[in-house]
Amino acid sequence: MIQITREDFDVSELLSEARNSEMGALVSFLGVVRDDGIQKMEIEAYEEVARQELARIRDEAIARFGVRRVDIIHRIGSLLAGDQIVLIIVGASHRKAAFQGCEYIIDQIKESVPIWKKEYTAHGSRWVPGEHE
Amino acid sequence: MVTIKVRAFARFRELFGDSFEIQVSTPATMHSVIQAVGKRNERGLPELMDGEGKIIRSVIILVNRERITGERREEHSVAGGDEVAIYPPVAGG
Repeated sequence: MIQITREDFDVSELLSEARNSEMGALVSFLGVVRDDGIQKMEIEAYEEVARQELARIRDEAIARFGVRRVDIIHRIGSLLAGDQIVLIIVGASHRKAAFQGCEYIIDQIKESVPIWKKEYTAHGSRWVPGEHE
Repeated sequence: MVTIKVRAFARFRELFGDSFEIQVSTPATMHSVIQAVGKRNERGLPELMDGEGKIIRSVIILVNRERITGERREEHSVAGGDEVAIYPPVAGG
């Protein structure tokens, strides 16, 4: 499942949905709004292209690591410290492929998916710089 | 003249607007499109082009949702009705 959404999500429900007896390992990554003294964070996406990119990254992870299932949910809109931003679930026959696939996916998201974050503090606002600027 | 649809995101959206049309003379190139976008805001052009009029490398450009890359992207031809998207480096995840 690939989703860009304004809604929050339930991690345990999604893990339960992903789990089945064909896969011996599920690895999940949960990105959370860190409290760096911010009042809120606004997340913006070029949604059509972001969805297309996430699907490409999912397909690449399957081809490279032989993982069997990938779910990616990324939130947009206004979030507070502690809120969930992104969830990646990767299922594979064995743990190594699941870990590798999950790390590959989050690294790729940070590199190429058109999503941006703006932090608001008591002193103003600033765009979070990308890791690849 | 041709009409090009433009979408801008993040910092560029704040400078230029999120969705708008620009008119450029034919034959339209990426250089002429980006220059026209930059001129929409008096502080805009230096965000997109360097002092020599070359598009800054970190500016990401898509035409009809396909990324345009390479040293010669200024010369990429753009046709009427094309949708050009511009955005700064991404920071999701």
